[in-house]
Amino acid sequence: MTGSFRRLRRILSRFALFLVMLWLVSVVIFLALRVLPGDVAAVVVGTNSTQAQYEAVRSELGLNDPLVVQYGRWMGQVLSSVWTGDLGTSLVTGQAMSARLASRAAVTFPLIVLSMVIALIFGIWTAVASLTSPRGWVRASLRVVSQVVGAVPALWAGLLLIVLFGRGMGMLGVLPAQGFSRASLVAALASLLLPALSVGIITGAQFFRYTRSALLDVEKDDYLTWSMAAGMTYPQAVRSTGLRLATPQIISVAGVTFASMITGVLTVETLFNLPGLATILLSDISERDLPAVQTELLLLAAFFLAVGFLIDVLHTWLDPRVSRGTMNGTQEVRA
Amino acid sequence: MKKGYSGGSALPADKRAQLTRGTDNALNARVRMVRAGMLQNVWWQMVSVVVALAVLVSAVVVAYARTDDAGASGSFAAGSANSRLSIGLQLAPTNLDIRQTSGTALDQLLIGNVYEALLTRNEDNSVSPGLAQSWEVSADRLTYTFHLNSGMTFSNGDVLDSADVVWSIRSMMGGSLQGSSGLENFASVTAPDAHTVVLKLSKPYSQLLWNLSGRTGLVFDEKASASGASAASYDAKTQALGSGPYVLSAYEPGVSATLTARSGYWGEQALNRHAQVHTVVVKYFADPQAGLNAFTSGDVQVLAPISGNLTDAIKNDARFTFKTGEGTDKYVLAFNNKTGGGSASDGTAGVLKDKRVRQAIRYAIDEDAIIASRGGTDAALGGPIPSLDPGYEDLTGLYKTDLKKARALMAEAGYGEGTGRTLKLRLMYANTYPAEIGQQLRSQLARIGIDLDVQRVEFATWLSTVYKQRDFDLSMVDHNESHDFSQWANPDYYYGYDNSDVQKLYAQAMEAVTDSERDALLARAGRIVSEDAAADWIMNYRVVTAWDKRVQGFPLNMNQVNMPLWKVSLGEATVGSTPSEEGGAR
Repeated sequence: MTGSFRRLRRILSRFALFLVMLWLVSVVIFLALRVLPGDVAAVVVGTNSTQAQYEAVRSELGLNDPLVVQYGRWMGQVLSSVWTGDLGTSLVTGQAMSARLASRAAVTFPLIVLSMVIALIFGIWTAVASLTSPRGWVRASLRVVSQVVGAVPALWAGLLLIVLFGRGMGMLGVLPAQGFSRASLVAALASLLLPALSVGIITGAQFFRYTRSALLDVEKDDYLTWSMAAGMTYPQAVRSTGLRLATPQIISVAGVTFASMITGVLTVETLFNLPGLATILLSDISERDLPAVQTELLLLAAFFLAVGFLIDVLHTWLDPRVSRGTMNGTQEVRA
Repeated sequence: MKKGYSGGSALPADKRAQLTRGTDNALNARVRMVRAGMLQNVWWQMVSVVVALAVLVSAVVVAYARTDDAGASGSFAAGSANSRLSIGLQLAPTNLDIRQTSGTALDQLLIGNVYEALLTRNEDNSVSPGLAQSWEVSADRLTYTFHLNSGMTFSNGDVLDSADVVWSIRSMMGGSLQGSSGLENFASVTAPDAHTVVLKLSKPYSQLLWNLSGRTGLVFDEKASASGASAASYDAKTQALGSGPYVLSAYEPGVSATLTARSGYWGEQALNRHAQVHTVVVKYFADPQAGLNAFTSGDVQVLAPISGNLTDAIKNDARFTFKTGEGTDKYVLAFNNKTGGGSASDGTAGVLKDKRVRQAIRYAIDEDAIIASRGGTDAALGGPIPSLDPGYEDLTGLYKTDLKKARALMAEAGYGEGTGRTLKLRLMYANTYPAEIGQQLRSQLARIGIDLDVQRVEFATWLSTVYKQRDFDLSMVDHNESHDFSQWANPDYYYGYDNSDVQKLYAQAMEAVTDSERDALLARAGRIVSEDAAADWIMNYRVVTAWDKRVQGFPLNMNQVNMPLWKVSLGEATVGSTPSEEGGAR
């Protein structure tokens, strides 16, 4: 009883912390963006304009208001959006922000998820194989190859994939290499496949290293020896005992990677001309659409913080030692 | 069965005790499971969960995103009813509000397609009838009488008559709208009847007719515009409502715009303009390589511009045609004529006020080398007026690359060889222009003892630092507007070039009676500006357009500003043999 109460209290206090952090982040974002030279009105009216045109756009967009008023207007919009779902309209494009972000997220999130799946399958499978393969040269070459692949920039990998598989260009021109098709689910997934592969294989090579070192840690602590003593073969021990015990570490890395991929897929989105979140963020910054940039950055920060929180929860769930430690370990003394 | 692993926290005390001493038990249980063939590998469970989740998320999100977006896919089809063409362009408009927002990408997409002007601009930069079927100019060149076509309508069915023309022109008068600067010397505009518009000037203005073929002359539906009745209004930033042969049926900012031929277009009879391609999808590729990939893979059938260096890869492909169009893009290396740049700390403040230094820079720059390195499609340009604009004269002979002269002029001014003084100058330009040009200028100017600090910044930063605050020594911009010589006659422009002779000549040119008189005056003014070395003109950037051979009639000259799509048709021979379209997925 007291245990679950304590856990609830802990979750609530962490949630409060989450809110305070978000508010701080919002202030930092707001102020940091004001340091950027240039303003959206100048971008809108361009180089063949008069001062009158510039002033008209400035006042129409509310850029003459004091900073406090602008911040208040933005925060009001963000807070009300929690129940209205309305994040306001972009100063430059005049589109509703919510619809705009949703249509972009509909490209970026499937791309990230697909990349993660590829990375996890590829990374974990090779890590296990690099320990369990009966052939020495396979084990050695897997290590070398993953080192090399992990060092490749995603941009170059993407170009290589386009040259190999891109329709119209590639030697095996079978896959769409440009843009995002919404004609059908299959077409949509097909247009994400090459970008996801170019990110996924490289991230997979990083997962390989983490997974492998986590498995070696497990081995160092004699868990595998004990498992084998109980009758498992070495590959069996690695796969069931080793992976099971390495999972929390892999989850931590995967979570952080997942969150950071939102900006990590930027180069790939550009290369494959995908209308995702990264490209919208870049264009909004270059057009100085600051309210839009603020909202986008705040949502990204919220997402990042939320993923961190989820990883913690997953950790306690996956690793019994963690929750037992909180039940009758050091936490008890403090509480 | 696997409680021993995962259920620790909720276990009663005796089970926990069993756990701590019972690793053996757990392992024994495991071995039994292996024997019974029911080992469920944790890893495979995880992977299958992740895969299932991924498929689910993708499916849901993509299904959600499947809005009415046929426009984003770009198949190619001939035949009148469902003909379809995709065009790849580079610069996307920031929004669609053509009256508030600058940028020629808007002119390119909307003028002549969705919106129409009083007059039509042709490929050779001349004007011909548009909404006005004819016009008269009084002998004193102060009164312009326009006779409108009859039966004109907007795409929402509203009638377009002289009231809309008068309203559109009058709304420019506040000076806060784009295009309002084209109404110089404006006195009044009236509508004696529904088909006649009379525009009066206070002084002659020889550029008026040309201006009325662009943004200044666009006619909007008064009833549907925001300041009119709100019932039928449209959001000008995300929608467009005009009288042209196409309607904008879909628009995704920065990504694509879809134009659909309008049925019952008034101009089919009055102007004999028939939109031949039913659906035109315009896609924007900020990255030139991405555009090339889309073109070669058939996702777009027209690409403009295509970089001169990139064409080599596919030059010999029999499916494609490449042509270089004329344009009015001027890569201007501007000098800060007003303050003269330099810095007070090393005693070079105002150095660019010294004509010898400006001339030395012009002699030192090897424009031909820069053009050659870009693929050789651009044209040399020796002065402020490009070949398609009034007053053009070939001035490339004025400052032919000559390092000896350049060094001598620098020495006279007290810099470079022999003097032991290096001149430090800053060049700031927007990162929308290639980095190579900055590096080439840096190494070319190093040869005459100028240490050029090249700063490539975001366009917004350039706008505030150079264009507004005038904090620069040298700056480079592609000024792509046509008829923009007024920049050199306006001392308040960021060039800060103040020459009363040029201003006088320009004013005379604007009041000139005949076009040839105007052209001669502008040519004289242009020569003075170039001789003064008020800037260096690196090149007349020319757009190379690439298209699939089945596409016919695509506008070539100035197609980054003026791209009338009703002229475009698709080869009849291709009916039934559409390329690479499996299942119509893309």
